[in-house]
Amino acid sequence: MDTVASQSSSSSSSVMFYDFLDKMRNPASLNLVKSIKSFIVSFQFSSANPENDSKRVQEFFSTMEAAIMEHPLWAGATDDEFDCSMEGLEKYIMTKLFSRTFAISPEDVQIDQEISEKIHMLQSFLRPEHLDIPPFLQNEASWLLAEKELQKINAFRAPREKLHCIMSCCRIINNLLLNASMSENHVVGGADDFLPVLIYVTIKANPPQLHSNLKYIQLYRRQEKMVSEPAYYFTNLVSAKSFIVQLDAKSLSMDEIEFEESMQAAKLDCKVSQLEASQAQTDPLPSTRMHGMKTNIDGRSNYPYMEAEPGELTVEDVERLLSLYKDVVTKYSNLCRAVRHPSATRTGPSLPVPKGRDDILLQLEGQAQMIREEKAEVSDTPKGC
Amino acid sequence: MATTANKNINAKLVLLGDVGAGKSSLVLRFVKGQFVEFQESTIGAAFFSQTLAVNDATVKFEIWDTAGQERYHSLAPMYYRGAAAAIIVYDISNQASFERAKKWVQELQAQGNPNMVMALAGNKADLLDARKVAAEEAQVYAQENGLFFMETSAKTATNVNDIFYEIAKRLSQVQPAPNPSGMVIMDRPTERTASAACCS
Repeated sequence: MDTVASQSSSSSSSVMFYDFLDKMRNPASLNLVKSIKSFIVSFQFSSANPENDSKRVQEFFSTMEAAIMEHPLWAGATDDEFDCSMEGLEKYIMTKLFSRTFAISPEDVQIDQEISEKIHMLQSFLRPEHLDIPPFLQNEASWLLAEKELQKINAFRAPREKLHCIMSCCRIINNLLLNASMSENHVVGGADDFLPVLIYVTIKANPPQLHSNLKYIQLYRRQEKMVSEPAYYFTNLVSAKSFIVQLDAKSLSMDEIEFEESMQAAKLDCKVSQLEASQAQTDPLPSTRMHGMKTNIDGRSNYPYMEAEPGELTVEDVERLLSLYKDVVTKYSNLCRAVRHPSATRTGPSLPVPKGRDDILLQLEGQAQMIREEKAEVSDTPKGC
Repeated sequence: MATTANKNINAKLVLLGDVGAGKSSLVLRFVKGQFVEFQESTIGAAFFSQTLAVNDATVKFEIWDTAGQERYHSLAPMYYRGAAAAIIVYDISNQASFERAKKWVQELQAQGNPNMVMALAGNKADLLDARKVAAEEAQVYAQENGLFFMETSAKTATNVNDIFYEIAKRLSQVQPAPNPSGMVIMDRPTERTASAACCS
């Protein structure tokens, strides 16, 4: 699943981390270990304050940097070895302080949710043309890789590793642009091309806790590392986020009325799915619901691969996954069309939405039935209904 | 020679200008055309680095390209914050791009680092037949606003190295004041900086 780049980086980063831990186990580094531990403990006793916390952590990094530099255990160490130890320190400290420093304020949690919801709405109608992305840069395969890198961001706790996800995403886009300029003989577009593609990829990826992740990297990544190319790519994602937050009808190459209508429809769509989710949660006995409906509510029981691990999949599963994928897309587009339809025409004054929903549910029910029949034919699915 | 230089300067340089003015072509021409021993250069799609030796200093440019489309205009401060130098690029065959360049100049003067070295580049100087912006007009504007001005052509390489060399020279002469950091996104002042400031 992982790309080669991220595998190699995560293995090299774990090597440097174990090297750091090894050094810390050495009796000679007892004084360093003591300072680290007392720093971490001191953090538990103060209340969270991102600005102040960041300052304390960065100052601690600097203090430790000086201490390590003069430490006999690092005598004769190269710049790289020394840097590895500092990366190890950053990872150790921030892993320990993660729950105390990441997405800590209710405002941040709120912003994360708002961004994620807005992106979710934009996903339903935004096309590359709306950002004037030229056709020769529309490379779905390459975009998908870039999206996956961004989506990995919550798999890591160390600021360096989170930043690395952003770097990998941007490098993929970078390569796409370079390849396009070479093979297609286009004039290099530079940032004129890079930023729109990054924005589009960010919208497609809807990376988890985007705001909090950016803030965390900004506050806790070692400051001396937030320069040059990493800083440039980081700034691009911050500006992509900012563009998305401010995005309105005037930000896109799209008819303003069409934009407003699409956003309205997407909002409605969002509410419908939220409603369904909350119904599914509050209903103590989902099986008492009307027959044939219950599988639609959370949708999962129709999709046996939801709990599957990549290792369990076989080649035969690909065909099955494809057919499930097509079903999901069909359902989703039906849902979108049906939800958009009443809001676009605005004819019936009497609650057009529930009527629309009835239609969709009927359609969904029919499809669910088809899937169940299909499923009966497949014997090797990991999970049954 | 870079190795004998006694002053190393890391300079963040931001490129501003209308879409299609040729910002990245200009930089590519510069970055690809230079060879400094033992110095790496970066040729990305939108980020570049290149080192120049001038007088007694080695200037390592970290070049940040910005998206020129109007819809991204409000994002520009994130990019020029902490920059030691800026090249504002317009296309001599496009009057609107010159007007846009003036807007950038005003904005940088109002919000940028006061010690920032600013250059105005009238690019596509090879397109003489299509010229819409007179060189004299741009020259007068640049003088009035304390910028230096050159007409460049990424196509023929005219003045491309010269404009970067001139910036490097000016950077090596600037007595740097404490610089805001290049990376303040959440409005947090940071102590460390990788910008032009070299210890005096």
